[in-house]
Amino acid sequence: MSIAREASKRLFSKPSTLRYPFEKPTVPSGLRGIPVWSMENCILCILCQTTCPPAAIKMTPKGPDAGIEFRLDRCIFCGECADICPKKVITMSDRFELAGDDRSKMVYSYKKTLHIIPEEYCVRSD
Amino acid sequence: MIAYDIFQMLVFPGILFLFCLAFLYEWIDRKLFARVQSRYGPLYTGPSGILQPLADFIKLLAKEDIVPAACDRHLFMWVPIIYAVLPLTALFIIPVAAQTGLVAFEGDLIFLVFLFALTTIVVFLAGWSSMNRFSIIGGVRSALQMLGFEIPLGLAIIGMAIAAQSLSISEIVRWQSGNWWGIWLQPIGFAVIMICILAELEYVPFDIPEAETEIVAGWQTEFGGRRLALFRLGKDLETVLVSALVAALYLGGPQQLGFLPPVAGFLIKSVAVLALLSFARALFARFRIDQMVSGMWTYLLPLAILQIVLIQFGIGR
Amino acid sequence: MSYGSTIKVPFGPQHPALKEPEHFLFEVDGDTVVSVKPRIGYVYRGMEKAFELRTYHQNMYLAERICGICSHAHTTCYAQAVEELLGSEIPPRAKYIRVIIAELERLHSHSLWVGIAAHEVGFDTLFMYVWRDREAVMDLLEAISGNRVNYAMNTIGGVRRDLNDEAVQKIRGVLDRFEKNVKGYSEIIGKEQTFVKRTRGVGVLKPRDAVSLCAVGPTLRASGIKSDVRLDDPYAAYDEIPFNVITDDGCDVFGRTVVRCGEMLESINIIRHALDHMPGGKLKVSVSRTVPPNETVSRVEAPRGELMHYAKSNGTTKPERYRVRSPTLANLAAVCQTLVGVHLADIPIILAGIDPCFSCMDRLAFVDRRGGAWSCTAEELGGGRGQ
Repeated sequence: MSIAREASKRLFSKPSTLRYPFEKPTVPSGLRGIPVWSMENCILCILCQTTCPPAAIKMTPKGPDAGIEFRLDRCIFCGECADICPKKVITMSDRFELAGDDRSKMVYSYKKTLHIIPEEYCVRSD
Repeated sequence: MIAYDIFQMLVFPGILFLFCLAFLYEWIDRKLFARVQSRYGPLYTGPSGILQPLADFIKLLAKEDIVPAACDRHLFMWVPIIYAVLPLTALFIIPVAAQTGLVAFEGDLIFLVFLFALTTIVVFLAGWSSMNRFSIIGGVRSALQMLGFEIPLGLAIIGMAIAAQSLSISEIVRWQSGNWWGIWLQPIGFAVIMICILAELEYVPFDIPEAETEIVAGWQTEFGGRRLALFRLGKDLETVLVSALVAALYLGGPQQLGFLPPVAGFLIKSVAVLALLSFARALFARFRIDQMVSGMWTYLLPLAILQIVLIQFGIGR
Repeated sequence: MSYGSTIKVPFGPQHPALKEPEHFLFEVDGDTVVSVKPRIGYVYRGMEKAFELRTYHQNMYLAERICGICSHAHTTCYAQAVEELLGSEIPPRAKYIRVIIAELERLHSHSLWVGIAAHEVGFDTLFMYVWRDREAVMDLLEAISGNRVNYAMNTIGGVRRDLNDEAVQKIRGVLDRFEKNVKGYSEIIGKEQTFVKRTRGVGVLKPRDAVSLCAVGPTLRASGIKSDVRLDDPYAAYDEIPFNVITDDGCDVFGRTVVRCGEMLESINIIRHALDHMPGGKLKVSVSRTVPPNETVSRVEAPRGELMHYAKSNGTTKPERYRVRSPTLANLAAVCQTLVGVHLADIPIILAGIDPCFSCMDRLAFVDRRGGAWSCTAEELGGGRGQ
């Protein structure tokens, strides 16, 4: 193909640029976007915290109100947390439009609702 | 009448009309260049981005005006103004809305060539006065580039003057309305003038004085704010000037087309020339200055001389 | 400027010709370069020290981010180094997947380079065309690995993701279209006189100089020397895949362009062969977290040339010393040699000709204006141990 012929063809065809943000790109299903925790099955083993390379995951605070704190501004979207979680609690979603200008809004707190077992069901060894 | 003359000078087809044409031609050039490259070009300011050049101009006017400490202050201040005014002056002698230009006299073709030379000198002074090594290199390259294209450009312009037996652009336009257009009579001259025009406008493959990847912005490096706005306006006016010139010399200039006024004929022809220039801009890589000058003297000058010789033998009169 | 004097033209750290910041001070006489003094250190990030502070598993992601374009080459080199320290062997399917991703990365890196080279000589149209077609490869890598750059496919002991049938079909489709595009662009480059005039005879590196100045990669192969890590020291599955090493006798920037276009076509053939012969099996083996004391050097053929990692372990979970020698560092001396005596306008294309990736390459630079040599021991530098 010569450049003049190619140029004339492209002159009359639709441009290749997407008119973002009015036209959004289609992302594939395996995209490593922001990780999302679904806390029902989480056992707070904090394997995700140990393995995260930039230390973006923390279990805080310690105690009955424990939950997972995830810092988006530290995340490198590697997917290690999703791979290592034994209960498959973490999924790498396909959200990638994550830019912001306020770091305090980039902290995601996932609270674990702990079920308190009523007294009468506890087995005690006296 | 005085009032009508002032209206012609200032509004149509004078300064205001020419400024609007300048912005319109920049938009056409940017859109064509972008579409060849599979992109959109200006898109959101105004319908299809047509107000983008005006928006750029206004934005530049609002920016901070930095004057380097070591520069030659007087030259630095005056060069942008002169660069914007020269093509405007030249456009007064080219027929835009009628068969004769606003100002027409015998020998205005030579005056036009003189204004082209002045423009290059102004560019050189712009680079020189900035006292920045990139600007100096850009200014020097611009002067060297003129050495390459000026003679073939002059010869191509004179070719049509010989055919029309007059040195006035308005006369040449009037002559073409009774005869064939210049492009049919002197196709070699048309090819030569198109290539020289690319060099004069500093379009790729001849954008050597302003080579972005080599010398940052060449002779325009130190200019910002209002001065850069004037430079860009001058560049756009030059685009209008050269497409108007080629349309007047080789394509018959403003002619009545059916029921459309002559200015419509002028617009169609000069936009066609502009489209050809924009398309050519997208097809090539940039030459090196020594390749450009030696190529001009080896290939283009003999072609231009050949055209003149052919005219002397009666072909193309 | 008086006759006979030279002016000093600085290129960088910020310059439109350089995509990454480094400083080159050119002494120019009229239009000819008389001498060039490079000064590096502007992108120095302390990576090698950072390696010593993190576990081997976390370092995988640090190695990935040494460079954006050759990220898979760095992770492959790193994974190979650690697997050698551990003495573990990865499954054959993992080797083939590493090869496929490495060659896809070579495709996208070389087409990026063709676009950048066209842009440096002012040929913006080819730049836009090539980058548009490169998007197909980027989208393919996004579908396979989850990200357009920094694929994170490698892990110590194998790979993390598999290539299912749908992915294989997609790869074949993209390769067919991309092959047509590459052939078309090679034709344009060969025929477009403005491009040829700007690159032929420019930046000449004679074979003897190329060898003595330790040039690597396409820069070396464009001087006619057949040297490629995939052939000389095969890693991953390259010993089972037949391919040609592309060389060219031009010794100039045009030769490097021809070599890279040829390598793109070879990569397409390698991927097709690998897809046809991919074995089944596991994707990874599990490895221990502590690495016994050992030291090793691992080499891969990154898109820019030979990439070397040196690793030393001491029985803990963190490396004791890690060193990265990227191909651009090897090519730097060669390119400075080619820059002497050229026109000023040729500088950007010659610098772009080695495909510089200054972020991989950067070292700490110590500028001592008092002159004289200096040296310091490992203890003075902080012992070289973590913390």
